[in-house]
Amino acid sequence: MAYGRALAVLADPTRRQVLERLRSGPRAVKEIAAGLPVSRPAVSQHLRVLKDAGLVDERSEGTRRIYSLRREGLVELRAWLDSLWGDALEAFKAEVEKSQGEEP
Amino acid sequence: MNQPIQIAPVHKSIRVTAPIERAFQVFTAGIDRWWPRNHKVSAGPLAQVRLEPRVGGRWIEVDEGGAETVVATVTAWDPPRHLALRWQINARWQADPTMASEVDVTFTVDDEGGTRVDVVHAKFETMGPVDGASMRRDVDGGWVGLLGLYAALLQGEGEGEGAGPA
Repeated sequence: MAYGRALAVLADPTRRQVLERLRSGPRAVKEIAAGLPVSRPAVSQHLRVLKDAGLVDERSEGTRRIYSLRREGLVELRAWLDSLWGDALEAFKAEVEKSQGEEP
Repeated sequence: MNQPIQIAPVHKSIRVTAPIERAFQVFTAGIDRWWPRNHKVSAGPLAQVRLEPRVGGRWIEVDEGGAETVVATVTAWDPPRHLALRWQINARWQADPTMASEVDVTFTVDDEGGTRVDVVHAKFETMGPVDGASMRRDVDGGWVGLLGLYAALLQGEGEGEGAGPA
């Protein structure tokens, strides 16, 4: 499942740092690599792994590759991480309060 | 009987703007309308969730292929105030009729005509120390480090999405 892959991939602290750098918006590899204690090719490799796990998107802009957070990948993981009963009760509340307005 | 270990129950509570009868009815007869589809033990995608309304009744998942899986058995049925279940899921999230952690759900009228719903999931120790702790963590949500990371990430990403869950 997608979230299992995402969890495995994010076990690596450098990958989490790379992902953190996309929080403020899409960035080119060069910008992502700046200040990280690993080489640019290594950062590219981490980005490929993150992309394969569905956590980032990639697009080309001329010769540059631009990476951004992939929202759906994050939502899948969050859905799994949320607690069972916390999650269930939130869904129950939404339903009980919605259905009340619909029925006499 | 003495249990060699104790594992603290998980307690979650929520207030709903609805009379107690409706809250109980939607929680039980209406479970298919709200049970989160990502929380399941069936192999295939979840098509339906059913709760049989009596002591000894079953909580059943039906997957898209029509296969039925028993998730829990009703051990107390006192509408509209109380419902208890024997939770027949093991630590690997497989249906297992020998499992016996307990889920207790109470409905209480509050001062403003709404209903407070309390879920207490207990007796994890019946699963053994390792499996019980694992199940407790799974139903409570204990991935604090990753959750923190994701809360931070989604806060940066999700501007305009509105408030998160309470």
